[in-house]
Amino acid sequence: MPGAAERGSELSEQIEAFAARLRRGGERPRSEDTARQTLSLLRKIVGHGRWSRAGELMDLIRTEGQRMTAAQPSETTVGNMVRRVLKVIREEYGRLHGRSEESDQQESLHKLLTSGGLSEDFRTPYPSLRANVIEAINEMLIELEGTTDNIAMQALEHIHSNEVIMTIGYSRTVEAFLKEAARKRKFQVIVAECAPFCQGHEMAVRLSKEGIETTVMSDAAIFAVMSRVNKVIIGTKTILANGALIAVSGTHTLALAAKHHSTPLIVCAPMFKLSPQFPNEEDSFHKFVSPQEVLPFTEGEILAKINVHCPVFDYVPPELITLFISNIGGNAPSYIYRLMSELYHPDDYEL
Amino acid sequence: MSPRPWPPSERCWDSSSRTEVGAGALGGARSPGCPRGEPLSTRVCLPSGETIQGLRNSLRDAIDTLSRVDSSVAVSSGGELFLRFISLTSLEYSDYSKCKEIMIERGEIFLTKVSLSRNKIAKLCHPFIRDGARILTHAYSRVVLRVLEAAVEAKKRFSVYVTESQPDEAGQKMAKALRKLNIPVTVILDAAVGYIMEKVDLVLVGAEGVVESGGIINKIGTNQIAVCAKAQNKPFYVVAESFKFVRLFPLNQQDVPDRFKYKADTLKTSQDLKEEHPWIDYTSPSLITLLFTDLGVLTPSAVSDELIKLYL
Repeated sequence: MPGAAERGSELSEQIEAFAARLRRGGERPRSEDTARQTLSLLRKIVGHGRWSRAGELMDLIRTEGQRMTAAQPSETTVGNMVRRVLKVIREEYGRLHGRSEESDQQESLHKLLTSGGLSEDFRTPYPSLRANVIEAINEMLIELEGTTDNIAMQALEHIHSNEVIMTIGYSRTVEAFLKEAARKRKFQVIVAECAPFCQGHEMAVRLSKEGIETTVMSDAAIFAVMSRVNKVIIGTKTILANGALIAVSGTHTLALAAKHHSTPLIVCAPMFKLSPQFPNEEDSFHKFVSPQEVLPFTEGEILAKINVHCPVFDYVPPELITLFISNIGGNAPSYIYRLMSELYHPDDYEL
Repeated sequence: MSPRPWPPSERCWDSSSRTEVGAGALGGARSPGCPRGEPLSTRVCLPSGETIQGLRNSLRDAIDTLSRVDSSVAVSSGGELFLRFISLTSLEYSDYSKCKEIMIERGEIFLTKVSLSRNKIAKLCHPFIRDGARILTHAYSRVVLRVLEAAVEAKKRFSVYVTESQPDEAGQKMAKALRKLNIPVTVILDAAVGYIMEKVDLVLVGAEGVVESGGIINKIGTNQIAVCAKAQNKPFYVVAESFKFVRLFPLNQQDVPDRFKYKADTLKTSQDLKEEHPWIDYTSPSLITLLFTDLGVLTPSAVSDELIKLYL
């Protein structure tokens, strides 16, 4: 069918364009936008791609997913969405295949003892699988729309009057969170500017527009001011499987200072940022950008003699975090493994 | 068929080899790498009784005899798991002979899965070993050996420090096995752990048993290493197969039952247990960074979840 071939090539063009955009980096993309674009692309693959069985669809999605994640490994949202869709396909297939809701697809001691043998092979074709999967992806897209609002709704429980809140850099989730609380409560915010990009300045401008009393200070002053802070609320780029964070450079310092003063550290992040990867040798989450920000090229003489790095992200270990506030509620870092098992299937952890 | 008592001269420390040695006692044949599940599954074939209850009793006897001969945690946990597996199967099928057939079949599958578990664990764990890493390990663990073998196969270069692990010098055995793999290895005194900790990048140990809290029971000295590692912020990784998950919740060292701490004949012959030195200790979950099992990479808090899923 010429129509299908055309659509096929158009689709792969779109995927290429998406991957190229990710690779280029450029202005800081919003994680939610990346997630939405990934899901739309995946929905197109399910809708227009050439497949007849669940197994083929999963392989197709996996290949495209690997291509997209290889373009920019630090954008973990892409990989997360791919894994979510794979899990959806498994679930829909299971439902059509007639497996009971109870039966756990995951490895467990129980399964070790009772399973009758090897796992599914996803061979049986079901005509309604396509429509079901597309519907499930649409549901995920709707869920995506509401994540920031869901998180912001919990603000009043955590922020009380006359508190001093500290944050770092610019996180849209934290901005929404604080704005929601400011409607009913009066509190102060201290923003660490988060050099070298100094996005803390933008955050401070936006918060003060809402009438919140804001102070901006340099990263070096974090420890000095921490004794007067009641809570630290931050956003993050990624949540790892052990409950650790990959957040903007400077967050680890903030977390250590908070731990030292026993100040609670609250992380506001939606569930699509939860990635089933562990921090290991790969270090593939790391992103280094032009050191222009750290030491401008005009400083000619010294540049020949030194190395300048500008890392974008920081690793924050789980012991320093008090609470995760996500669109499904508040959770401790030690509970992350459970949330992960609900969102992803273990066979998909390695794409 | 009554089991023969195990001759003490052929005892050796490492838990998985002890269990295969225990298997030898009952089965009459030594087969390497076979967990104690095998004598128990042959037990399922043997009795000609007609009731599940009778089968349970005979299996219980077999487990008790095994534990009397070999008092390791793995025997206890494996036995419990097998019994549990019987009760789960019996719930599904009411006809006894059909039940027995399914049990034997599942028993075989269980054994195959368990023998593959070490490879699964190695696959999960070796990415955590960076190039140029210095690893500290304790005593002799076959799972750790397999992990390091997988890391070598992945062309990583690293060096290993092994504690001597008195009183049976299991560390020397480990060092010998590592030298065969061409890994640079140094044997250190048990007392030198605090001294060497600043030089190592990560600590990797096996476990005899994994308890409900997410802590582990392992050769004496493991707790010390974990405390040193925590003090110096080094990651402490544990590798263990899932059949080692045991339904114990010790709150401190005293809570670990004596039958695990001391060898079987010490328990029988000694006058005062306070004079004896324990062979194992308990490491609490707050000191452990991650556990690598064939069920995946788990944080210590995830372990109790797994156990609940099985036993409840």
